[in-house]
Amino acid sequence: MKSLAIAVAFAFAAGPALAIDFGRILDAGRQAVQSAQGSPTSKEFSQEDEVALGNALTASFLGASPLHPDAGLQRYVNRVGKWVALHSERADLPWTFSVIDTETINAFAMPGGSIIVSSGLLKRLNNEAELAGVLAHEIAHVVRKHQLTAIQSNMKADFWKSVGTSVAADRVKIGGGAVGSTVGNIAKPYILDAAGNVIKDGFFLRPLDRGLETDADQLAVVLATRAGYDPYGLAGALQMLAQYKGGGDAASLFSTHPSPTDRLADLERFMPTVEGHLKQPQLLEARFKQNVK
Amino acid sequence: MILRRLAIAFFLTLSAVAWGQEQAFTNRSTELKDRAAPDAATLKTLPENTEVKVTQRSGGWTRVDAGGQQGWVRVFHLRFPTTAQAAESGGGLGSLTSALGFGKQRSQTTTIATTGIRGLSPEDLKNASPDAAALAKAQSYRADKPTAERFARDGKLSEVKVDYQ
Repeated sequence: MKSLAIAVAFAFAAGPALAIDFGRILDAGRQAVQSAQGSPTSKEFSQEDEVALGNALTASFLGASPLHPDAGLQRYVNRVGKWVALHSERADLPWTFSVIDTETINAFAMPGGSIIVSSGLLKRLNNEAELAGVLAHEIAHVVRKHQLTAIQSNMKADFWKSVGTSVAADRVKIGGGAVGSTVGNIAKPYILDAAGNVIKDGFFLRPLDRGLETDADQLAVVLATRAGYDPYGLAGALQMLAQYKGGGDAASLFSTHPSPTDRLADLERFMPTVEGHLKQPQLLEARFKQNVK
Repeated sequence: MILRRLAIAFFLTLSAVAWGQEQAFTNRSTELKDRAAPDAATLKTLPENTEVKVTQRSGGWTRVDAGGQQGWVRVFHLRFPTTAQAAESGGGLGSLTSALGFGKQRSQTTTIATTGIRGLSPEDLKNASPDAAALAKAQSYRADKPTAERFARDGKLSEVKVDYQ
């Protein structure tokens, strides 16, 4: 029994990057697709609130898992990510890429353009095109508002009432931060409430629906291609995951995310979409290895 | 809590050991090329289910050792050993743990676990309290548009127009 508990802990804690994204349960994921395709409801965050929510979630995440101390590495990952994000339909978001200092292999996308990637994942990648593919997958979730839509659909009526009555001038001090800190300045009480509930609900730990992951993989390949990277970078990263995890994907016993092997099969079918457009796609292995040690 | 963290570190370590196994199989008949390019010379044709050892990745190609012969195969033409066999032999969740290497190489992993490999537990993420200073620091590393454009030019990244529905 103990070993089962540990196995479950492992499945969640060290699930594959790009698979256990910060996300929602299966049903919420389906709702996200329906909501994204259907008519907009009034129960939606403004972009300002979306960014604030992402910041509050990021602050909490970094409270659990510290930033990697290498400033050069942080800036490098931000440059790769920003360049890719500039080729998305939400280029104007305040894109922020944070490397957390942990052996866990994972990557997370917060609403509003905050992406978190573990150093454990980075050091298993082989070149900048693979990094661009990984970041592009997370960027795609934000562009498609996968997590945001899931969060919105999970909020109760009372919450939206509080959004309506909240005063923009509200300032809140949150744990560990000084008054007037980055979070305090931008976060309204209802955003902090939402972030707190989302975290307690285990939001960081739940995978998205396979359809959303496939969508993010395909958009990621397009974004990386637009940015001039070798479009096979994401496939390379997935192969690493398949290799690392043993392909059969033990984590899928506990969650609904697709295995790297399934995702590779899906990607193979998609690659012809971009192949005709390539002109001198770059891998940038040397630059990657200078920056990721 | 400490025990739990150690247990997780233990598991991470085991999977790191598994990472060292570069065994793969061709998932179809495929050509072993002398370079990572479609127009490279074909060294030989590997039948489906040929066992290879992965040594490197490069874009859409994977470098392998196929029975002593080195060459490149397409990234999509490989599969990796799955936990399926373990599930068949053991069944249920017990096989999951064995597939992850639980119970094997105990002495080795105990040693590595004490060197302090850190993981991120579900509890860590559920009980996280916000660190505003860390957020501010993370945001200080952002790249602005001109910086990203300069970075792209340095890397000879040339933009491509591709639509997405």
